Amino acid sequence: MFKELDPILHSQLRLAVMSLLIGVKEAEFTYIKEKTGSTAGNLSVQITKLKEAGYVEVTKQFKDNYPLTVCKITTQGITAFEAYVKALQSYLPK
Amino acid sequence: MEEKQLSEKESLLIIQQMISRAKNEFVDTGVGPILWGAVIAVCSLVQFLQIQFDYRLPFDIWLLAILAIVPQIYISVKESRERKVKGWDQDVMGYVWLCFGVGIFLVNVINNVAAHQLNPILSEYGKISGKTDVPNFWTFGTGYLLFVYGYPTIVTGAARKFKLMTFGGIFCWISAIISAFTVAKIDFIFMALSATLAWLVPGIILRRNYLLQKEKNV
Repeated sequence: MFKELDPILHSQLRLAVMSLLIGVKEAEFTYIKEKTGSTAGNLSVQITKLKEAGYVEVTKQFKDNYPLTVCKITTQGITAFEAYVKALQSYLPK
Repeated sequence: MEEKQLSEKESLLIIQQMISRAKNEFVDTGVGPILWGAVIAVCSLVQFLQIQFDYRLPFDIWLLAILAIVPQIYISVKESRERKVKGWDQDVMGYVWLCFGVGIFLVNVINNVAAHQLNPILSEYGKISGKTDVPNFWTFGTGYLLFVYGYPTIVTGAARKFKLMTFGGIFCWISAIISAFTVAKIDFIFMALSATLAWLVPGIILRRNYLLQKEKNV
């Protein structure tokens, strides 16, 4: 039986962001941009979608007088990611 | 990275790639272990030489260890400012080493108080009894320090899966036991060896890995 894949996570960039954040406590926006190789605009849009879904927490701070965006996966995000991976496994040949 | 419909295989590949990229980020710069490994090894060796040749420096060599706190604070602040990502165990490791610093301070205070109280009695006993092999407190004091050295080193080595550091920590504990049976002079040799194996050598390896990783990321 195939499980339905979470549409929020079943997108290249959003999944990449979540996969990065699952392994760390928190990461700066520039780090995520660098690791995913995405543009700032696209990444910002996708992170907003993840934030609206309650999967990531975004905090704006200042570092050396420059604005700094820090992203962190939420408990809801971890649960959704685990469910997505489980659902993904049901699609794989056994 | 563009937006497109993903196949299940592509999803798994993305997850795998990103987790591996995040994992590669946690490479210690190695500066802290090199600094402390070198400072403790040098202080211990100088202490050994002072006892061996019955020579006293005009200052206490262990002041170097106190002075080393200044560059350590600078390194910690700099590394934390440059860090764009924080790992799950980073805070825990920070607390482990903070407790180590406090632990070393406490053991040193207790050791000094004990030495101050016991050494005159032991020396007096030696004179009265005519025995020449009456030990002083420092014959045992180094063992406590070596035990404290080993603790956070083993925890860090095990948490970071860095076997050499774990081995270095275990060596500190073995040295702690041996130092209970050897004179203070020899204890300082074990202390120098422990600092070299627990921090200096792993630090050099960490530094090399860090620089290689940095080169790859450029």
